[in-house]
Amino acid sequence: MSEHHITPLRTYLIIAASLLFLSGVTVWVSYIDLGSFNIVLAMFVATVKASLVAFFFMHLLWDDKKNLTMFLMSLMFFGIFVTITMLDTEFRGDLGLNPETKDPINKRAAFYDTLPLTDTHGHPVDEHSDKHHEDKDHH
Amino acid sequence: MGHHNPDSPSHLKHYFHDVNQQYETSKFAMWAFILTEVLTFAGLFVAYIVYRSWYPDMFVDAHKLLDVNKGLMNTIVLITSSLTMALAIWAIQKNNKKLSVLMLVATFIFALVFLGIKYLEYSHKFEVGQLPGEFYSYMGPDAAHLNNPHIFFSIYFIMTGLHGLHVAIGMGLIAWLIYSTQKGNLTSEYYTPMEMIGIFWHLVDLIWIYLFPLFYLIG
Repeated sequence: MSEHHITPLRTYLIIAASLLFLSGVTVWVSYIDLGSFNIVLAMFVATVKASLVAFFFMHLLWDDKKNLTMFLMSLMFFGIFVTITMLDTEFRGDLGLNPETKDPINKRAAFYDTLPLTDTHGHPVDEHSDKHHEDKDHH
Repeated sequence: MGHHNPDSPSHLKHYFHDVNQQYETSKFAMWAFILTEVLTFAGLFVAYIVYRSWYPDMFVDAHKLLDVNKGLMNTIVLITSSLTMALAIWAIQKNNKKLSVLMLVATFIFALVFLGIKYLEYSHKFEVGQLPGEFYSYMGPDAAHLNNPHIFFSIYFIMTGLHGLHVAIGMGLIAWLIYSTQKGNLTSEYYTPMEMIGIFWHLVDLIWIYLFPLFYLIG
């Protein structure tokens, strides 16, 4: 096993210090209001940190590239998973089939009785008009 | 084992050509396992993405019920444990058994600290009723206006819970590594189990790197 790459100690320490520094940065940045850009920046910093962990701590940088390929494939499958799911969940309202409106998910929570029924955007939902719809569907 | 070359090391299985092929095969299989792990968490990340896009304001408000300091502390603890895990492998590569065991013990302790902090967070949430789904009962003034906060806590508990389970399993594996290394079973010639468990442990760190900003640092 002596032919395996041995990462120098200095590299490990620099990577760990960078990870701790970036953790601080991401907390600091989260207190600044950048609107929707906050989440983009947070995910960018997280991805830089994740890359440092994968390439240096998990030794992908020095490994045979088949291991990196396997890892990137898992991320690709994740991308497909997200995309296809969101093609459904993001456009349900367009068809007038929003199941969240028909059957609000706060129904089973302990505080159900204390809150008005709402749709996904927090607008109140009229229970009776909804039931009327269901009746029409059945006949 | 009768066909074995007397020069070949005892850890070499007869169906491998040489130790390097055996090592590379183990590592590739480990990455196949990591792929399944990423996909397991992918399902939960998709749930997070879908519900956050449905309830953007609720996520921002509900996350304020989490303790950023504890989350940051756990981030620091887990990154440090990743470093000590990497150094345990570095030490065994240099045949420094004593340092390797020391680093593994440190990793184990950091994992324990992580779960300890997580326990403090969980027990507080159990006390006030910030729980998943129908068990949610928290009606504090900072939550009165929240629309479906129990969805946020369902996702929070399942994702951090599954991650915590990985930390616990990792601790078991690291405990076994401490035993094997101390016993002299792992050396610079053969440390495959430590490398594999190391990859697993860094994956646990990697997932937390995303969980931390997604739950504690929204908006």
